[in-house]
Amino acid sequence: MRAKKHSRDPRLVEVLFGTYRRRILSLLLLHPEEDFYVREIGRLTGVPAGSLHRELKLLSEAGLLRRAAAGNQVRYQVDRDCPIHAELAGIFRKTAGLADVLREAMAPLAGKIFVAFVFGSVAEGKERAGSDVDVMAIGSASFGAVVEALSRTREELRREVNPVAMTRSAFQSKYRDQDRFVSRVAREPKIFLIGGASELGKLTEDRAA
Amino acid sequence: MSLENLLKIGQLKKHPPDAREIQRLVAAAGRNLADARVTSISPETRFDAAYKAIMQSALAALMACGYRPDTDRPGHHMTVIQSLPLTIRLAGTRVTVLDTLRRKRNISDYTGEEMDDVSMESCIVEAERLLNDVKTWLKAERPDLYGADT
Repeated sequence: MRAKKHSRDPRLVEVLFGTYRRRILSLLLLHPEEDFYVREIGRLTGVPAGSLHRELKLLSEAGLLRRAAAGNQVRYQVDRDCPIHAELAGIFRKTAGLADVLREAMAPLAGKIFVAFVFGSVAEGKERAGSDVDVMAIGSASFGAVVEALSRTREELRREVNPVAMTRSAFQSKYRDQDRFVSRVAREPKIFLIGGASELGKLTEDRAA
Repeated sequence: MSLENLLKIGQLKKHPPDAREIQRLVAAAGRNLADARVTSISPETRFDAAYKAIMQSALAALMACGYRPDTDRPGHHMTVIQSLPLTIRLAGTRVTVLDTLRRKRNISDYTGEEMDDVSMESCIVEAERLLNDVKTWLKAERPDLYGADT
């Protein structure tokens, strides 16, 4: 039921972008190292051809996308030199493109997860073509249950998900013992999926300085 | 996908079952599993040993069915894991977990990222379950290759 807290986020991104634009940007912004044929974008986003061509023209004219003609095929890729690229990619990572897909997949486990978040290269915005999405789930849900819940997101995200499951007490004691992995995860940027910084704070507050 | 189809696309090769070879693999899987329980070594190495036990168990079942993977082809670990529903009729959810462990090993091997204890412990649990499943299956289905007294 904690997951409900985030149910307003999809509407947030819906207010900012129309459905078609949102789907196109979501695909391209979250796969910055890939370029796509127009037809491929159409197939992956389900945006009808007319609207798709119009959107791609607008977005590339505005400097968000790079257009490259190869023979009679046109390919589009996000333009990382666009001055607002990083901010825009961050918005999509935190909403429709990534976090919402993971949140929805984990919703059935919400009662067993105290706090869950994306960490690693994707959370930092440093993902590469083959990068996995690292997901930490802290609570009583088993590794197998988390793997199963997240296995269905692979196709939609076009990325592998690499889940880590830990109990609250395991996370707390490892944090206290300055375990390398847990310390790094605690320190690095995160995108929260279930719970938030205050829940995580409860697990990390009592480490002696 | 059937084992026959994996043969057609070149992921598998024919390999006549050899009782001694299969018993050797099962025994090696047992030793690797025992090594994985040694707590004085790093989680990465413990994970590797447990993962090796998973590979050897799955390979023993595949060989009992008359096949081996084409190790010159990339992705043969994936093929060995995906053969499990076709050999010992392993449930899809277990295969998904084993495949996740395979990717964890790749990430750890090729990026030097630390292995967390929970993933390592899950790998040991899964290795133990799989080795037992393969032994049970061999005894029931191919006692000529792996007898009750083995």
